[in-house]
Parts: sequence; structure tokens; C-alpha cells
Amino acid sequence: MNLKSALLGAVCAFAMAPAAFAERGTDGEVKLTFPQAVSIMNPYLSSGTKDIFAASMVVEPLAGYDDTGALIAKLVSEIPSVENGGISEDLTSITWKLLPGLLWGDGSPVTAADVVFTGQYCMDPAGGCAQLSKFEGIKSIEAVDDATVKITFNAPKPNPFTAFVGSTSPVLQKAQFAACMGAAAPTCTDPNSMPLGTGPFKVTGFTVNDTVSMEANANYRDATKPAFASAVIKGGGDAEGSARAVMSTGEFDYAWNTQIAPDSQAAMAAEGKGVFVVAFGTLVERLEMNMTDPSADLPEGERATVKHPHPFLTDINVRKALSMAIDRQTLTEVGYGAGGAPTCNIVPAPALYASDNTGCLTQDIEGAKALLEAAGWVDTNGDGIREKDGKNLSILYQSTVNPIRQDFQALIKDWWAEIGVETELKAIDPSVFFGGDAGSPDTFQKFYADVEMYANNFDGTDPEAYLTQYKCDKAPSPENQWQGENMNRFCDPAYDAMIAELSGTRDEAKRAELAKKLNDMVTKDSSIVVPLVHRGTLSAHSNALGGVKINAWDSELWNVADWFRVK
Amino acid sequence: MRDASAPDLVQVDGLKMYFPVYSGVLRRHSGDIKAVDDVSFTIRAGETLGLVGESGCGKSTLGRAMLRLYDPTAGRVVIDGEDIARLSPEALRKKRPTMQMVFQDPQASLNPRMSLSSIIGEPLVEHTALTTAQRQDRIYELMDQVGLNRRFANRFPHEFSGGQRQRIGIARALALNPKFIVCDEPIAALDVSIQAQVVNLLEDLQDKLGLTYLFISHDLSMVRHIADRVAVMYLGRIVELSPRDDLYARPLHPYAEALLSAVNEPNPERARTRSRILLKGDLPSPANPPKGCNFCTRCPKVFDRCLTEKPALVQVEPGRKVACHLFQTLKPTAGSTGGFHTQDDFQQGVTL
Amino acid sequence: MLTFTLRRLLLALPTLLFISLIIFLLVDLAPGSPMSEIPLTVPPEVRQKMIEALGADQPVFVRYILWLRQFFWVEPATLIDGWFGLNLAGNEQRILSWQSRSPVFTVIGQRIPQTLTVIGTAYLLGIAIAIPIGIYSAYRQYSFFDQLGTLVAMIGFSVPTFFSGTLFIIIFAVWLHWFPTKYDTTLLVTDWPSFVLQLKQMAMPVMVLALANAAAISRYMRSSMLENMGQDYVRTARAKGMTERVVVLKHVLRNSLIPVVTVIALGIPSIFGGAIITENLFGVNGIGAALIGAIHANDLPMVQTLAFIFAVLIVVFNLIADVLYGLLDPRIRYE
Repeated sequence: MNLKSALLGAVCAFAMAPAAFAERGTDGEVKLTFPQAVSIMNPYLSSGTKDIFAASMVVEPLAGYDDTGALIAKLVSEIPSVENGGISEDLTSITWKLLPGLLWGDGSPVTAADVVFTGQYCMDPAGGCAQLSKFEGIKSIEAVDDATVKITFNAPKPNPFTAFVGSTSPVLQKAQFAACMGAAAPTCTDPNSMPLGTGPFKVTGFTVNDTVSMEANANYRDATKPAFASAVIKGGGDAEGSARAVMSTGEFDYAWNTQIAPDSQAAMAAEGKGVFVVAFGTLVERLEMNMTDPSADLPEGERATVKHPHPFLTDINVRKALSMAIDRQTLTEVGYGAGGAPTCNIVPAPALYASDNTGCLTQDIEGAKALLEAAGWVDTNGDGIREKDGKNLSILYQSTVNPIRQDFQALIKDWWAEIGVETELKAIDPSVFFGGDAGSPDTFQKFYADVEMYANNFDGTDPEAYLTQYKCDKAPSPENQWQGENMNRFCDPAYDAMIAELSGTRDEAKRAELAKKLNDMVTKDSSIVVPLVHRGTLSAHSNALGGVKINAWDSELWNVADWFRVK
Repeated sequence: MRDASAPDLVQVDGLKMYFPVYSGVLRRHSGDIKAVDDVSFTIRAGETLGLVGESGCGKSTLGRAMLRLYDPTAGRVVIDGEDIARLSPEALRKKRPTMQMVFQDPQASLNPRMSLSSIIGEPLVEHTALTTAQRQDRIYELMDQVGLNRRFANRFPHEFSGGQRQRIGIARALALNPKFIVCDEPIAALDVSIQAQVVNLLEDLQDKLGLTYLFISHDLSMVRHIADRVAVMYLGRIVELSPRDDLYARPLHPYAEALLSAVNEPNPERARTRSRILLKGDLPSPANPPKGCNFCTRCPKVFDRCLTEKPALVQVEPGRKVACHLFQTLKPTAGSTGGFHTQDDFQQGVTL
Repeated sequence: MLTFTLRRLLLALPTLLFISLIIFLLVDLAPGSPMSEIPLTVPPEVRQKMIEALGADQPVFVRYILWLRQFFWVEPATLIDGWFGLNLAGNEQRILSWQSRSPVFTVIGQRIPQTLTVIGTAYLLGIAIAIPIGIYSAYRQYSFFDQLGTLVAMIGFSVPTFFSGTLFIIIFAVWLHWFPTKYDTTLLVTDWPSFVLQLKQMAMPVMVLALANAAAISRYMRSSMLENMGQDYVRTARAKGMTERVVVLKHVLRNSLIPVVTVIALGIPSIFGGAIITENLFGVNGIGAALIGAIHANDLPMVQTLAFIFAVLIVVFNLIADVLYGLLDPRIRYE
């Protein structure tokens, strides 16, 4: 080794040093792109994922979830528990202790008053807060002292980690939002687009539905972070364009939601400029079976209500056969590639709550035929459609307009035809389907069809609220203006009783057991819900960006403070 | 009439103007429209040659080809000693002041976005070195000449009546002191009351400025008024070229005869005695003219030879040329007025 | 001309009011809800509260009257307040976007610059390309150049911008790495390097749109030239001994431009309207992208306001085209 190479080595070592001992703002700019542009930076006024993710770089909750779904402290010194006294024995209150010396982006101290204010802000009935459900059951939020907040519930709450936990419920600065209470909330344009926060970045420029410019927050609690001096989120375009900007042209470091056709994924990944990462949360593409008769012959007000049970989907054998005929592996490959996995559960994650239910993963056309045969559904008139008691197995199968869903519809229609079930397909504009307009016949709540397909998930890691959706009284009906999440009009007293048991259970293992049972009751046991694909969120990041840890339980940008430039 | 011994100003020799026809998918050249087919004649300086014929016979094309507004297919057009048909574009442009044209439609032939003074003045800018003031004087002078009020100098064409517009067209043609003017149906688009004014204006200008005209018209009585000699055209060819009075008194070619039989006869006595010759059939297509005489399909006096051989335009009487097999020999022929009449004894021809 | 213009403007007012009502009803009747983009994890009661907070549950005529008041009084008053530091508007509510909760006019203000730069440049470039092509194509009708021009125009007409745009991205961004695929709206042109950056990021959307614009305008230009080329006055000009240059550029072109100028003027509102697909594809995020985003999100105030502004622009530019026609063509006089 001569002097030259020795010097070179020294220089290299010197150059590597900053990466090892990171300093704030040394790595230049990190550029992110979202196919849907950011509309607003206040998660309480928007529940759009794009807005919540962008906001998570700026405003933070008291606690969040890491990539395994475990709770982590953000603005507090520790996660409260019954053991450490943070949660009262009777489960009616939780007490959070703020980190000492915590500062807002403008340098003013973060106090318990800010947390209390944020609670009042969201709970104001005139404010239209999108995260109101996080504050459900809260009796009061009080500042015990400047650094301590106590939340009291109306009733024992086994899972008190709703308010101020996760990126959907961050703490806002009282001083900035004081004038934005209630009806004034939507009119506070400046605070809503440039909120002050405790996060690693601070908004410097915001153009609606276009670009968010940020710089490193000088008052961030970790003096060495973030490594980037500035960040920018450019929105707009489509998933393909976002993926291309990271994977092909290298203009951007990170692209969220790059769900593109599996063959495009492979082609872009092969270019070697970046990688696709996938976050498997709880999103499941599923078929929902209608237990009520959606026939148009029934009078309006009785159509698709519990008054008229479904002519054949009430037969468990029919539902099971429909499920057995589906090849979920093929669906996944066709529709999602790396961004999906076949599943039989509506609660596919976190691992603790996921049932080991894999029986549906193998397609069984013959089994399905035999099952129908045995149940008396036979094709007597030779038209290829099975019937019984004069009722044809003829299904109206609806979903939203979406190329992947239309592929799924076509494939499933073919499989069902093989077992002697006739299918008529219908695709509805998503804004109508999910729009919840009680006047429209095409909403997924009205369910004027036999089978419908969409995706749903739950927030956070606890499935209780999600499973509660299948209780008898959650069925949409004319009486409740078609509001409700039990699309199937499924009703089983045993299920309702188990839900009640779950809400009274605190022990995690016991809760998991109950949740799995509930999951199996609506899926494996009854095929009321036919899960198809466990969908992840496919994102892409460039090889020049380090520190990315994909997270399905919180904002994908949850650890943006740790991101750095790979040199 | 005019000086018969004056030199020829215009000589047209074997002029052909064919428009190619393309057809089929590949747009192959499949034939020609023979709008002007082998035409020869001369015009003496100071003379007015009338050119008559029914619509579509090629008279306007002939006029335009003579000024090389079309590029002729073949032949020579010598105007004032130079063969227009062969001049280079630039030399032709330089030559333009000598020869001008008065167009049929005074509305369409004037640029709607130019004022009267710029219309008249534009050629002056292009071809002379006049100062602005001199040019303005010249414009006023021209306007005076054609009888337009000087106040109208800044008006646009659409603000004038048809007769006034034609005066503008004439003033414009006169701007560069041309020697030869092709008047292409200059009065066809005008009211009858205005027609005479314009024709008189043209005559006055001819007298004053010594102009030579080719006066194209289908109005035989107006041609009789203005022309010295008259050429009759049929299907791209001149069938008869005679001094005016001879022609009107005693047309030789059967077509000329038929054509003239349609003219209003001012003398009631004569009108009563003459009979109108009605031609049968339609004008053949110039793209596909008959093999023999162009007129053979409609000629009342057609005979075998007409169907196979095209007659040439030959002198059959002093000063009179006819393209008809009936007149090839000098013997009088049955059914014809025949004979070796001179210009002086034309009255005797009317013996039918 | 002045009385004509004033009369037309006066007549336009009731028309525009009527248009605004029709747009409002159409947008309102369109299926969908402003809450449809919200994830299913948000419970229905919360959705209902959010709708109430937006005022979206009010009867349609109440919302229409409120919108009229906001559009014709509050917004202009706010603008004047902004200029002169007055307080005419008081604390009255401006038109707020349901999606972003920002005043609609603030959003439009943010969007206009890039729309005008990109779409406007594309329009001008399109015209600059189209007019010479149209002139020469007509002058040498059926020549090779004319056939080529026809072909290019056909391509420009028939190839949709999302296709040509994607093609350009693959060629110029993915393969050649010449231009960025995402337009940076925050770029400020302060010096030469930033100007070059601006040119680079404009290059692709401008090319895509200019091609489409040039195709249409060059055809107008060509047919208008051909129509005039055969006119008698052109023959007159030749007979006068004018050079071909003067004949074509002065006589034919000037007359041919009259209808083309009108077409160009009528096309100007579309510059403000932006180019929905192209803007979206290249992330220009101008007015077009705002409109389509608002439509997707059922953001009624935004859609209504934008649609109405387009209606106003179209009416105004129709009037401008008429007036221009009168100015350019001495034969037309408005009383």
C-alpha cells in the first residue's frame, strides 16, 4: 500500500464519517411524490391518507406505532400501562406524561394545554372533525400539570390508545388553532395548510393539491435529526408516473402508493435504481354476500332489508361453494403482484390477531359442485345454471369502476359459471358507490345486488371496532338512512354476544383469541364475507435513500427523521 | 375604323392551354382539359379585338393564358416584341406593366382589405420610383380618368357600387400605362344601365391613351359596339376571325351563324326576316373533344369530312379567316352564303 | 363598435346567470358525495358531521344563492380589500373548497401561473408552428411538404395527449434523461440556470400540447389560404406584377388570417381551462388538474366556480373574436 492509496483511504473514511455520526440538515433535500396531491395538512379535517402521511412529517401524536405494530412513545416519556400506573385499574382513564423540554417548530414549549385544546378542537360538534371516532367515549381531557394530560372515559376502555395515538390524531398547537374552533375550523386556511408541529420538518410552502415544501425543524427533539435539510412532496399524476419518477428517472427519492400492473413493477424493479416496498396492513379485498333479497320487484323501503331474506345466499352451501370456486392465488398475481397476498381472513394482520385460516387458498371447483349437488342445487333444465325450488343461481355482482376489480369480476364470473352459477356484472363509479348518498340506489350500503366487492381495513392494530361492524344492529336499512357497516345484514346473536365479551376483555391473548373466533365466524364458518386478497400498499424508494422502514400501522413516513442519503 | 396598317402589338401563335386531369387511387395523369387548343391570331396596336363564344368555350382561359396568369402548355404569345410565354418569372414581372387585365367580377377581383388608393397605388410602389406625393397625385389622376371622386380614395371596395368597383379595376389596370389590356367580361357582372357607361369609358380611354384591347364577352351586341374585329371561339378553338361588320352582316362559320342568329336585331325589318338557328345537343367536354371538327357534333351542315379531320383557321376572304371544311376551297358551296366578298360588299351577302 | 360591445356585454349578463344556475344544478345533481374519498374507517356519524360542517347538507337553492353572493360580492370585495387595505368584505365567508378548505380563488391564484406559462407557451408555439406550415402547405398544395403536413396534422389530431405524453416521457425522460417528468411548480426563475431548468421542465408538456394545437390551427390556416388563393383579387395582384412574396404574404395571408385569428381568439379560454390530461400527466398541476381533482372529490364549490369562470371567459372571448373580426375585416361593421 503506497501513500496515495493510504491518503485515499483516509479521505474515504473522513467522507463516511458524517453518515455514521449524522448531523441535522447535511443530506440536502429529500423528494417525495404522491399520485394524489396533498389537499390539507390538518388530519382532523381530512382523512385522506395522502394528507395524513404528509402531515405526519410535521405534526405528531403522543404515541405511534412502529413497523411491527407495537406502540412507541413519540411526545411522551413512556407508554402508559396499568403496570406503570398510566392507565387506571378500572380502565376508565389514561395519563400521558410529556417529554421534558419539548418545543414547537416556532420554539415555544409544548404543554398539556395544547393536548387538551386539540381534544376540544376535534370534539367540537360544529367542527366536522374527521377523527371524531378516535375521541369517542371520552368524558374529559384535563391538564394535570404543564406536562401531564389525563383522559377520562365514560366507561372502562380496554383499548385507550385511540386519541393522540397514530398519525391520524396528532397534537396541534393551541396558539395557532385557538381561533379555529367549531364552525371556524374549515376557514382557518393558513393553520390548516401550514400547521406548526413537533415533527422533524416544518412547512415552508404549501400549494393546494400540488406541492408541500418543508425544511428541517430546528427545534426537533433529536438534535442530530433529520439528516435532510429540506423535503418536498410533489403530488399529482398517477401511480405509474410516481413509480417511474423513482424507479426509472430517479427524479424522486420516495413514491407512496405506486400500485401498478405486476408486469410494470417487474420491469421497473429490473432497472436497479430503486426498490418497491410493500406495507401489509389490514386492507382486504373481499366479496360480501347479501343476506337480504335485493330484488327490484320488492317495494322501495323493503328491498334489501331483513324483512325479505335472500332466496339462495341464505343457504350456507351456496356461499361456501362460491368461495371454493375462487382461485385467490391467480387473482393476486393478476391484480397486485408483490402488492398483495391471498387471504381467507378479514383480519389478516397484525399477526397476533390473524387467524390461521388457510382453507380457502386452494381452489376446489369439483368440491364446490359436489356441495351444491348435495344441497339440492342441480341443473334440471340443462341451461347450465343450477336451480332449486324454481330459484336460479343467478347473481348480480357489483363493484366499483377500477381495472383490477373488473379483471377480478371477469375471472370470478368464469369460475362461477363452471360450477353452474350465472353472474351478471356491474361496475359503479367509486364516488357513487362509496358516496353514501341515501338517494342513490348504487351505494355499497344499499347493496341492491347479490354480491359486492370492495376493500376495507381498520385503523390501528386493534380489530374490535372493525369486527363490531358485523353486529346485527349495524345493518344499513331505510330506518337509519342506510347508514351502517354491516352490508351483509348478517345477524347472529352468538356473534353479538362475543363482541360484547371482547369489549369487556383486557387481556391481550384473550382478546386475540376472541378476535380470531369472530373473524372465523363471518369467514370460514359462514362464508358471509369471502376474503380474496390481502392488499398491501406498494411504495417505491430510490437506492439513494436510506433508513426507510415501511410501516402499515401508522404513517409510512413515521420514521422520516431517520432517513438519510446513501452516499 | 382604326388604322389597318398599324403594326401588330400582340401575336398569338399556336397557343395551347391544357389542364391535366388526374384520376384513380394513384392520381395518374389520365388526360387533359383542352381549354385552349392551338389558337393563333394577331392584334394590331390600337385595335380592339372582340372574343366571343358561349360559356366554357375557353375565352377567359385564353385571355389569362395570354397574360400568363396561367402557364400555357405550348405556343407563343408575343406582346410588344417579347414572348410572354417564355419569360423568366422576374422578367415577366417587369413586363407586367405593359399588359393588364380588367376582370369580370369587380367585387372579387379587388382585395377586400385594401383601400382604393392602396389598390391603385400598389403597382406603382412595385414598379415605379415615385415618391409618396407623386404616387398620390398619380392615383388622383387615375381616379379622375375613370370618373371616381377623389374623396373615395380611402374607402374600401365593399363601399362602392358595382360600376364604381369596375372603374377602380380599370384605374388599377391603367396605373402603369399599359399598352395592352385584356378586358375579361368587364361588364358581365354589371347592371345593364352601367354596362354602357363602362364600355364608353373603355372606348374613351382607348382613344385618349392609344390602348389595345382584347375584349372578351359573351354579349354580342356589346362586342359589336366596341370591337374592330371579332374572333368567335368554340370549344377551345377560334372558328372564325372576321372584321366586325363582316361578321355581323354575314357570318361564315356555321357556329358563328348560329351564335349571331341569337343576337337582338335592332332593325325590326331585318329581325322579322331572319330565322334563329337553334343548335342541338350540348357542348362536348373539352377533356374529350370530337375527333374531327370540334363543332361536328352540333353543326347543322356537318358532312363526312368534318367527322375525321380538324379544319384549320384559314383565310377564305380578304381579312376573314374561318376554320370550316365548307370553306376550304374557294368555290361557293351549297347552303352557304359563299363567295369572294370583300369587306365593302358585305351587304350583298344578305340574300337569303 | 363601442355600443355593439356594450350591448353584447349587457346581453351576456342574464345568459351568464342562467349558465351559472345550470352548472350549479348539474354539478349538484351529479351522483357522488364530497365524502366518497374518505376511507371506510371513518364512521357514518362522523361523515355526516363533516358534511354539515361544510354546509353541503343545505338545500340546493340556499347554497346557490350563497354561492352567487360569495362570487359576485364577497370575492370581489376581498380582492379590493387586498388592494386598498379596506374591509368591505368584513368577515364574510369566501368560497371555500370542500376538499382543501382553502378559498377557491386562492387555489386558482396558485394554479394560474403554471397553466398560463405552460399552456400559453404551448398555444403560442402551436400558432407559431401552424401558421407557416399552413401557408406553405396551401401554397404548394398536394406537394410532398403538404402531404407531410397533412400527415403530421392527422397525427396531432388523432393521437390523444396521454399517449403522446407517455411516449415523450419514455423517450425524453426515461431513455435520454433530458427532461424531468414532474413539473416543479415551486421553481423560481431568478437566473440563467433556473431559466434553463424551467425550459427543461416545460419542454415535454409544451411539445405535447403544441403538437395538438398546431395540428388544428395549421389545418384552419391551410384551408383559409386555399380559399383565398383561388380568389380573383389574387389573380389581380399577380397581374399587377407583384412578387410572389407580396402576393402570398400580403394579399392572400392577410385575408386568410381573419378567420384564423378568430379561431385563435376563441381558443384562448381553453388556455385558462388548462389541459386536464397533460397537466395531470406531467404534474403541472394547473387549472385543468385542479378541475379534474375537484370533480373526483365532488368538491362542488371548486367545480362550480371554475366552470363558471370558463363560461365567462368563453363569452368574453367570443365577443373579443367578434370585435377582432370587425377590426380586421373592413367589410364588417357593427352598429
